[in-house]
Amino acid sequence: MMSSEYAIEVDNLKIQYRCLNKVSIRKSLFQLKKSKVEIFEAVKGISFKVKKGQILGIVGKNGSGKSTLLRALAGIFSPDEGTIDIHDHTISLLSIGVGFQKKLTGRENIYLSGLLLGFSEEFINSKMAEIIKFSELGDFIDRPVRTYSSGMYSKLSFSITAILETDIMLIDEVLSVGDAKFKKKSYKKMKQLIQKDDRTVIIVSHSSETLKSLCDSILWLHDGKIKMQGSVEEVLPAYEKFME
Amino acid sequence: MFKKFWRDVNKYFNYAYVSAKSELKSEVANSHLSWLWWILDPLLFMLVYTFISSIVFRQKIQYFPIFVFIGLSCWQFFEKTVKQSVKIVSQNNHIVAKVYLPKYILIFVKIMSNGFKMLVSFSLVIIMMLIYRVQLSFNILYIIPLLLTLLVITFAFSTIMLHFGVYVEDLANVVNVLLRLVFYMSGIFYSIKGKLPEPYITILLKCNPVALMIDDMRECMLYCNPPHRKVLLLWFAVGILISILGVSVIYKNENSYVKVS
Repeated sequence: MMSSEYAIEVDNLKIQYRCLNKVSIRKSLFQLKKSKVEIFEAVKGISFKVKKGQILGIVGKNGSGKSTLLRALAGIFSPDEGTIDIHDHTISLLSIGVGFQKKLTGRENIYLSGLLLGFSEEFINSKMAEIIKFSELGDFIDRPVRTYSSGMYSKLSFSITAILETDIMLIDEVLSVGDAKFKKKSYKKMKQLIQKDDRTVIIVSHSSETLKSLCDSILWLHDGKIKMQGSVEEVLPAYEKFME
Repeated sequence: MFKKFWRDVNKYFNYAYVSAKSELKSEVANSHLSWLWWILDPLLFMLVYTFISSIVFRQKIQYFPIFVFIGLSCWQFFEKTVKQSVKIVSQNNHIVAKVYLPKYILIFVKIMSNGFKMLVSFSLVIIMMLIYRVQLSFNILYIIPLLLTLLVITFAFSTIMLHFGVYVEDLANVVNVLLRLVFYMSGIFYSIKGKLPEPYITILLKCNPVALMIDDMRECMLYCNPPHRKVLLLWFAVGILISILGVSVIYKNENSYVKVS
């Protein structure tokens, strides 16, 4: 099958933020003229393909559409135009402050996140000990998440995505989580995860170091369009030069 | 769409179940009287309404405390679920912005946690029925289709609330007032049939599904009568229709919910 060669195929993807202002009944009663609809296009027609097992880095300045693109790939945004095909792979988005329910304990949140990522209860149970150990939370795991420090919060979210492995991983700026020790550990774990042959990974990062050591190829986004796409050696120097 | 709905419900049902369970658990863990509140809350309200109706308004209804209790249990389930649905997407923003899930699953979570509380107060109703030695008949079995209809109606209205709640900022205010109105029109602490003149009885009982269900629930649990089967069936069908409409609207728009801010 031809299609199995690629894990992700994106064709002419456009994402707009349109009429995002909330309406209020009070305002619309007293204001007869309609507020005009503003359209802001965050991603302006992008096409690319990612091979199975490939590790793609995405660079670009703030506001160039990187996070929007990742969210669209994860199925959170629908494309306004164009298509995204992930060929039925499981996909997870790892980003700073993954959503937890603050009232619930860490353990319950591990369950819920796992179920949302599409894993069965037995599978989560079998991985539970590993996640708790990796997160270094100890007794805090049975306390409500709102009592966590921000470092503990991100450690937990990293551990969940790192240990409940999906076919495609989207990583948004999370390689700087926790203290120096955890950072080292998570970097190592990330590298180990990424280097599994059949795992497809997309990393968004501002750190050239990270991208250089992890990625096979780089996609450079600028104002919602692809400015350059190619090998690390080719794109990164150009990007760095541009940013100076 | 039906296929997709069925597949998604199967896939995410477990999530909704675990989420509702943890929600209830955390509610218990955070309050001093813990689960006692699930019993105390309806019990105290029952005392308030019983006081107002039987002492201030001098109503004489057989088994009045149970009468109020049944009304309150059903009403609180309906009211809480619909009210919570208005802001449900923005309240779960942390999940919605990170991972895809069909948004009506969030309503499932609320239906399950509020439904559990309703079951708790219904078990109190049964205890009180034993204490008062209420005569029973086979008509009591009608509570199963009645509860099912209540479930469908609640889900139907909640899907609509969920969708418009995302776009309309002050919907919560309007819904609060409307729900208050429906509360007084549902005969929770008075008997619609005994207090009101025609044509209001027919209008309220036929056009207000909550009033209809509460009234029928009492008839079959306390007074050995069968419910209004035809109107009930009709409301069940209407509930299913609105649910289908609501779910399809949610499917169509849910991916732009996150973009609204």
